[in-house]
Amino acid sequence: MNSFGNMAEAVIAGDFETVKKMTQTMIDEQVDPIAIINQGLMAGMNVVGVRFKAGDMFVPEVMMSARAMSTGIELVKPLIADTNMPSAGKVVIGTVKGDLHDIGKKLVVMMLESAGFQVVDLGVDQAPADFVKAVQEHNPHVVGMSALLTTTMLKMKDTVDALKEAGLRDKVKVIVGGAPVNRSFAEQIGADGFASDAATATDLCKTLAQ
Amino acid sequence: MAVGSNHGNGLFFRTLTEVQAQHIHAASSRILEETGMVIHHLEAVELLRQAGAYVEGENHVYFPAWLLEQALRTAPSRVTMYDRMGRPAMYLEGSNTYFGTGSDTLNFLDPFSGERRSWRTEDVAAATRVCDALPNIDFVMSMGLLSDVEKRMINREQYAIMIQNTTKPQVVISEDGDTLRDIIEMAAVAVGGKERLRQKPLLMSYTEPTSPLQHPAESIDKLLVAAEYGMPTNFACGGMAGASVPTTVGGALVQANAEALSGLVIHQLKRPGAPFIYGYGNSPMDMRTMQAVYGTPEAILFQGGLVDLAHFYNLPCWGYAGCCNAKVCDEQAVMESTMFTLMGALQGCNIMHDVFYMEFGLTGSLELLLISNEAIGRARRIQRGIDTDPAHLAVEAIQRVGPGGNFLGDEHTAQYFRENWQPDLSDFNNYENWTLNGSQTMAERAREKLKYLMEHHHPEPVPAEVKEQIERILKAASARLG
Repeated sequence: MNSFGNMAEAVIAGDFETVKKMTQTMIDEQVDPIAIINQGLMAGMNVVGVRFKAGDMFVPEVMMSARAMSTGIELVKPLIADTNMPSAGKVVIGTVKGDLHDIGKKLVVMMLESAGFQVVDLGVDQAPADFVKAVQEHNPHVVGMSALLTTTMLKMKDTVDALKEAGLRDKVKVIVGGAPVNRSFAEQIGADGFASDAATATDLCKTLAQ
Repeated sequence: MAVGSNHGNGLFFRTLTEVQAQHIHAASSRILEETGMVIHHLEAVELLRQAGAYVEGENHVYFPAWLLEQALRTAPSRVTMYDRMGRPAMYLEGSNTYFGTGSDTLNFLDPFSGERRSWRTEDVAAATRVCDALPNIDFVMSMGLLSDVEKRMINREQYAIMIQNTTKPQVVISEDGDTLRDIIEMAAVAVGGKERLRQKPLLMSYTEPTSPLQHPAESIDKLLVAAEYGMPTNFACGGMAGASVPTTVGGALVQANAEALSGLVIHQLKRPGAPFIYGYGNSPMDMRTMQAVYGTPEAILFQGGLVDLAHFYNLPCWGYAGCCNAKVCDEQAVMESTMFTLMGALQGCNIMHDVFYMEFGLTGSLELLLISNEAIGRARRIQRGIDTDPAHLAVEAIQRVGPGGNFLGDEHTAQYFRENWQPDLSDFNNYENWTLNGSQTMAERAREKLKYLMEHHHPEPVPAEVKEQIERILKAASARLG
């Protein structure tokens, strides 16, 4: 228990060297790999989430903690069957057709991953058909679309429609974001949610993936 | 007397020493030589390849130092922008400073209802007329993103509004090269042809590719179209310190400079000597909200560094002023925007945009525009420095007035007091008189003046035949876009 506590502390401190060593020691001592994730690595990350919300930690520190957590997860992953792998949920995400702006989307990806989501990042300039294909292939809980331009945000509706036509709309939650996007636009095009920043997007995915 | 800039009579301000500028130049050169840039534009890659750049794969370009130096030799050190009447309006050179609005805010903070809402054509037209009236607003950008026109036509319609509602020079946004061509057509009919427009540019094209170390096709398209027509253009890549450029001001400068120089090289290869405005848009990321923010102390320092680099290269430069992160025109709005304005003026940044931006550029406030107009006036007086010729040293006046006298009744005061800055919106009344005038805050006085300007200021109209030609260009574009 104490060593789980120390591991969580190392995750909070973003100390990947220590996390790596401690994880390896536990694996060598035959500690249950799922417990390593849930009680050690994720436990630390949960504290990070709370501290970030309270304003006691900043984004770059959250990123370091997330990296520390993944260093540990990489080591235990081969010991766990895919289906048993603890995950907050799966998200497919991309910037819509005609739009190459992805700073905001990258931030969302980083925040989602640090909250324990499995993220499939399609990249930029993704046509409605690309989203449909990715949803078919990865079967995510949530699909996220991003746009910076008022001209390209219209592609979000095309994607929602394409998901409907492919009969996938009921199987996946759709969320949208980006500077020109707002809540009423999200409702207009039939999305399930809108988030104004990466932290809110992460909370939204947590709610939608439940 | 050795001065860092030519702000009037020896007022001295610089952010980087000459040696620091040299270090940043060397570091940026290393990035361009060793890391290179990905350029999503075949013609540009071909231009670079033929000029001697190293190209890996399809579009990963590495720039040798001599190629940068060649571009720096052909780029002009000064650019003059003209108004619609063909009169010189802005001399972009040295430490001259000019101020203008920003473009495409999503929300209009309606000064009279207080509502935050979408921009309509009549709002943008009215806002542009206000800019025409303000003495310290030297150029305009589109201010608001039109919500009542077809989306593909927005940039063209915005231009048609700008050119008809002010004679001041414009900095224009266009979503692609085709849009820019239509905008140049409109400008050309207003000034009497393309040759005339090239000789006396009324507009500057705005290009803002996204960092890090890549240029998208549309941005390069616009850069090449501007070079082809000889229209001045900036090439201010946009970055967020801590996300797409380093979080340290020095690191952000190194990368920003590398990206700006790579644009300059492409531009000068297309047409050597074409007017290029050096610059970069850095909005640091706030590490709590992940928001790109304006006018933090680091952003202001960054701009100072960038201006010093422009002076080091002898290029005109582009930057920011008068913008903020506040949601309404409150104390934060005035503090952030005024600090940026004064510092930008002292830095000697040639052309500063985004005056009137609120909420990181998502919202525009005309009250802030009027307050900034006043702040710019104050800053401009400071830039003029202290005159030390005999008349201003006033030895004779001091002797005339003598011990125990009063300068108020002396002719020296009557002759020179008008050189001092005079308030317009700032209230210098005593408490009693301020109360008698309605106990107004500055924002209230700004709204009152806005109302007056909107009712009484009528910019020089464009001739009827020009108006028809503009309509024709818009119709043709609309038909072409389907």
